[in-house]
Amino acid sequence: MNREARGPWYLLTGLLLGAVLGVAYAWMVQPVEYINTSPASLRSDFKDRYRALIASAYMANSDLVRARARLELLQDADVYQALAEQAQRTLAEGRSPEEARALGLLAVAIRQSSSAAGSGGVPTSGETPSPPPPATPQSTTNFTATLQSIPVITTTQAAPLGTPTAPVTTTQVLSVTLAISPTLPLPTARSATATPSPSSIRFATLTPTRTPTPLPTRTSTPTPGAPFVLDSLRQVCDRQWTEPLLQVETLDAARQPVSGVEVLVQWPGGQDRFLTGLKPEIGPGYGDFTMTPGVTYLLQIAGGGQPVPDLTTPECEDATGTRYWGSWRLIFAQP
Amino acid sequence: MKRWFWFLLALLAGASAGLFYGWRLDPVKYVDTTPDTLRIDYQSDYVLMTAEAYQGEGDLELAARRLALLGNRPLADIVRQAILFGESRGYTDSDLERMRRLEADLQAQFPTGAGSAP
Repeated sequence: MNREARGPWYLLTGLLLGAVLGVAYAWMVQPVEYINTSPASLRSDFKDRYRALIASAYMANSDLVRARARLELLQDADVYQALAEQAQRTLAEGRSPEEARALGLLAVAIRQSSSAAGSGGVPTSGETPSPPPPATPQSTTNFTATLQSIPVITTTQAAPLGTPTAPVTTTQVLSVTLAISPTLPLPTARSATATPSPSSIRFATLTPTRTPTPLPTRTSTPTPGAPFVLDSLRQVCDRQWTEPLLQVETLDAARQPVSGVEVLVQWPGGQDRFLTGLKPEIGPGYGDFTMTPGVTYLLQIAGGGQPVPDLTTPECEDATGTRYWGSWRLIFAQP
Repeated sequence: MKRWFWFLLALLAGASAGLFYGWRLDPVKYVDTTPDTLRIDYQSDYVLMTAEAYQGEGDLELAARRLALLGNRPLADIVRQAILFGESRGYTDSDLERMRRLEADLQAQFPTGAGSAP
């Protein structure tokens, strides 16, 4: 076979060889180095730790604006959902209850601040809650918050973050609307002196108005050392609930709902835990557990609360005589 | 000679196509990274979060475990780096003070500076 008879195969050979050399260079000679990454790129277990640390820091400083800005860095589709799920997962896996509680309380605070931006409102304590409406995904994070004696986070947009910005006063109440993009840069500098300067807040569109918006009602936290006792136990027959539930609500001594209370449910051969407050759309001190008909449960507030034994799925009957599974409603209160 | 010319040209075209694909059409997406690869400002905020949580919890062991995710360097060095970054970027005095307190406690706990993860 002479050279001309071999045709243009050498061109294809050159192309393939070039591609192979390019990949070899990229993978072996100068492989990718992971540096200067963002929290959104973290592996899921590291994201969980990052999220838990945000919650722990929030427990220490109660700075919801800062916590929210940090959470945005993780780019969760639903910040509240991510926090609530992690809180329940932490409890279910028997890891740190303090961490679970911090996650739960931050989830509640996030939900409450979002609710305050919208219509807001939670059922009055003690009322039978209605089933939650289907979750509506939120594509943007627009919320209204009232800043009251808390420092305002300032950030920069470009790579070297943290350029100091003009100080912002925090001594007066401002009603601001924050429109946070999902790709918030990291908060790096905060100030708490001098004159209000909304223009200095670069991470968000900040429009101060003179109409104060009430702060979201802060959910009470349990009084340390005061055990919860059963205040009331009643059967709930409501067809709106699609499955039988152990519905728990926790109240403090002032009859205010308390979130972040760990509830232990035991049955022959198993047990589970859940936190109150992770369904603030029903009630800030509310939590529930799905019962299996025929199983007898014992429920108590974790950490030595009064146990409530012999809870089995109640049967209910509607006006037409149709039978269906009901729920139990338990209200615990601190004396 | 002519054949070699075209061969090399094809080689270059193949490599260029590969690079164009890898850099423009389907660039590297950073996923499943570890905290020690975070950019310095994110690392500094991570340290600040640890210091804030430590202030509330008072658990130095837990703080040390959290900081250990940022690499194998001595923990106090990690905090010092964050403090320097914070100072250069105008962190508030209270934030800087929190980090300095954490650094001091770490140095007291690990005086040699060799300890990273507890």
